[in-house]
Amino acid sequence: MGSMKDKTAIIGVGCTKFGEQWEKDAEDLIVEAAYEAMDDAGITPDDIEATWVGNLYDFTGLSGSVAAEPLKLFGRPTTRVENFCASGMDAFRNACFAVASGAYDVVMACGVEKLMDVGGSGLPVDMGHPVLRGSSAPGMFALAATRSFHEHGWDREDLARVAVKNHKNGAQHSKAHFQREITLETALNAPMIAWPLGRFDACAMSDGAAAVIITRPEIAKKSKHKHDYALTKASVLTMDVFLPMYREAYDWLGFPATENAAKQAYAEAGIKNPVEEIDLAEVHDCFTITELLNIQDLGFCERGEAAKFVREGHADVGGKVAINASGGLKCFGHPIGATGCRMLCEITKQLQGRADGAQVENARLGMAHNLGGPGSVCAVTILGLPE
Amino acid sequence: MSERFFPDSMPPPMAETITLPWWEAAAEHRLVVQRCTSCEHTRLPPAPVCPQCRSEDSDWKEVSGRGEVYTYTIVHRTIVADQELPFFIAVIALEGAGGVRMISNLVDVNSDQIEIGLPVEIVWEDMSADLAIPRFRPVENR
Ligand SMILES: [Zn+2]
Repeated sequence: MGSMKDKTAIIGVGCTKFGEQWEKDAEDLIVEAAYEAMDDAGITPDDIEATWVGNLYDFTGLSGSVAAEPLKLFGRPTTRVENFCASGMDAFRNACFAVASGAYDVVMACGVEKLMDVGGSGLPVDMGHPVLRGSSAPGMFALAATRSFHEHGWDREDLARVAVKNHKNGAQHSKAHFQREITLETALNAPMIAWPLGRFDACAMSDGAAAVIITRPEIAKKSKHKHDYALTKASVLTMDVFLPMYREAYDWLGFPATENAAKQAYAEAGIKNPVEEIDLAEVHDCFTITELLNIQDLGFCERGEAAKFVREGHADVGGKVAINASGGLKCFGHPIGATGCRMLCEITKQLQGRADGAQVENARLGMAHNLGGPGSVCAVTILGLPE
Repeated sequence: MSERFFPDSMPPPMAETITLPWWEAAAEHRLVVQRCTSCEHTRLPPAPVCPQCRSEDSDWKEVSGRGEVYTYTIVHRTIVADQELPFFIAVIALEGAGGVRMISNLVDVNSDQIEIGLPVEIVWEDMSADLAIPRFRPVENR
């Protein structure tokens, strides 16, 4: 297999405020994010040679037009990418391939979701055959939480600490859905959804869009961000079984998709000791338990140690690896198709020392991670500064 | 008709060519798992290809419907309006099924009684003349 290391670079990023944006539609959001990214890169829509857009819900039925129509990107390709919660990061991955191949010089990856227009009170998941019709994402991740409590002795306070940490970070970010801190008591006393997961264990339902401009390093060296473009150190996506609840081999204590993607990403980037080498990570925290399990699957600590890792402050801004310095899906929000690109915006700005929220000091290497389906797809991107 | 636990308005499952034999067995209150006739690997849900050897040849093996709770959640939100709360979702490790687990609901049980490792047995709930849904209850509550 080949490698994507150092073959592409991000030279511009844009992101809308996430939240309940009743006054805006998907077109408004994607224009806002894309124009901010183009301004940041110092380019115009005419410079975008091809576009990939992550979008999960069929709210328009417009395929590539999700991005091409609002931005009037006609006479060139736009491809819609749908891969569960990894849709946005898979859009980025495909855009990187196009640039690395030499087919295009400057492309855009973006993502948008208008969850408020989809309706429903939680992220809907149709688990299909044979029994679990109508179950929900909280129900699925709760099964992993119960098993982890049993195996590792974790409790609801261990989950709540993740929500408290992410709200503390998100409260400092002007674009986060929620801008307030919460206490451990608030999280623990919230209404129960699917025991052991309560309301503050679940991420926000949000609208939003994000965009990144991608080129090759030799072009990035002449761009507006010539000294601080973000180099792709690894770009990986792996699939795993769609219905793990039928498999004896599945222990509900982690996600094989994340473990595999992390291993491949570290090999691609040449990372030997992730907890020492990576300064910050945007980790998929659709639920608090998901963040804990992903921290382990990404190799930041041993299995069973994630609750302690968070409790001892190693995941804080200023800790060993700042996990979700933006506030994460929990507090920043999770407009599904937009989330992957939103994470890449956050990591890029952190590396450039111009984070909108809590800045991780001297950040040199950052990771963005999405898990979706609930565990059938994982995307990992590692970004670093040029030497 | 059997005892009922969930309302008629629950969204019905869908049968396709590959899953229809499973639902036909269920309507007769028989729990079956799909078995690869090349390598003996058993699987659910029904699928065209064996995940172990990728063979397309398979038959059906009836299992006892006994097992134990592997993990569970207590759900406090309704799927349909006229549903009783809380309800229980569990992953059941099936006995004699070659490692196949199943996701289902626990019935005839209260929250305090549920724990990992709890021995359970199948209870068929007839939702209509040709649709039976497998649920599970603690063996001790029979
Ligand atoms: Zn086989």
